[in-house]
Amino acid sequence: MADELPLEETAGPIPEDCLAVVRHLWDLLDDQLTDAQAERLRRHIGECEICHRYHLYQETFLETLGAYRSQFGAPSRVKARVLESLREAGFVESR
Amino acid sequence: MRGHSLAADVTLHPLHARDQDERFEQEALPWLDDVYRFALSLTRDETDAEDVVQDTFLRAYKSWHTYEPDSDCRRWLFTICRNVFLRAREKERTTVELVDSEVDVIATSTLFFEAMRSGYEDLHARVDLAPALADALAKLPEPFRSTVLIVDVEDQPYEAAAQVLGVPIGTVRSRLFRGRRILQEQLLAFARDAGLAKQGAPTEGQPHG
Repeated sequence: MADELPLEETAGPIPEDCLAVVRHLWDLLDDQLTDAQAERLRRHIGECEICHRYHLYQETFLETLGAYRSQFGAPSRVKARVLESLREAGFVESR
Repeated sequence: MRGHSLAADVTLHPLHARDQDERFEQEALPWLDDVYRFALSLTRDETDAEDVVQDTFLRAYKSWHTYEPDSDCRRWLFTICRNVFLRAREKERTTVELVDSEVDVIATSTLFFEAMRSGYEDLHARVDLAPALADALAKLPEPFRSTVLIVDVEDQPYEAAAQVLGVPIGTVRSRLFRGRRILQEQLLAFARDAGLAKQGAPTEGQPHG
C-alpha cells in the first residue's frame, strides 16, 4: 500500500542508493552491468521496498513492450507484394 | 560511381542461384514481420512502410552474396531497412538529439511516484495496454522510436541497435532511457484518461496523507 510507505521522502533528496537504482535499473534489466554492479543494485532492491516496487514497475513495463512484438506482423498483402517483387528480380521459391 | 546495378555484378550458375534462393527464403524471408514492424515504426505510415519493406527485401536479395552465413540476418535486414528509409527521407539523418540523462533520471522516478500515488503502479501488469502502446509508439519521436523498437520490441542487444542505427552504444542507452520514459508518460496519461486507477487508490489531485 502506498500509504504505508514514506512517500514524503520523495519530496526531498532521493537517497543515493535509491538514485543508483533509478539511474541503473534499466542497465540491470538490459544486462548491461558487471556482475559486481548488478549484485550491488540487486542487494539494495532486496532491502528497499520502494526500489523493489520500482523494479517490478519497470520490469512489467519492459515485458509489456516485449509482448507487443507478438501482437502484430506484416499484413498478407505486404508479404505478397514482397514475393512478387522478388520473383521479378529472379527469385524462385522452393515450393 | 559505377553505372550498373548490383544485380548485374553477380552472375550465378543456375544451380548455385537456386541454392542461394533457398537460403534467402529460409534465412531472410522469415523476418518479414519484424522488418515490417521496424519499417512502420520508422515511417509511421502503412503505405510508406510497405514501400520500405519491399525495397529492403529487394536490396537484401540482390546483395545476398554479401550476407555472411550464420550471422544475424535480422540485424542485417534492419540495417538495410533503416538505410532505405533514410535514403527516402534524408532529413531524418539531421534530427537534433538532445538527451540530458539527469533530467531523464529525475523525470522517470517522478513518473513512478506519480503512478504509485494515484493507483497505477501495477498498470502494466493489470491492463491490456497493447492499443495504447501502439499509439504511444507511433507518437514517440525519432530517434527514440527506432531505438525502443529494436531493443525492447524486437529484443535485440544494445550492440545490434548501435550497429543498425550507426551510433555508439552509449547513445543507444540514453535514447532508450528517454524513449521509455516518454512511453511511460503516455501510457500513464492514457490510463488516467480512461479512469483505470486501481480501486481504492487516492483520488487524483487530492493531497497525499
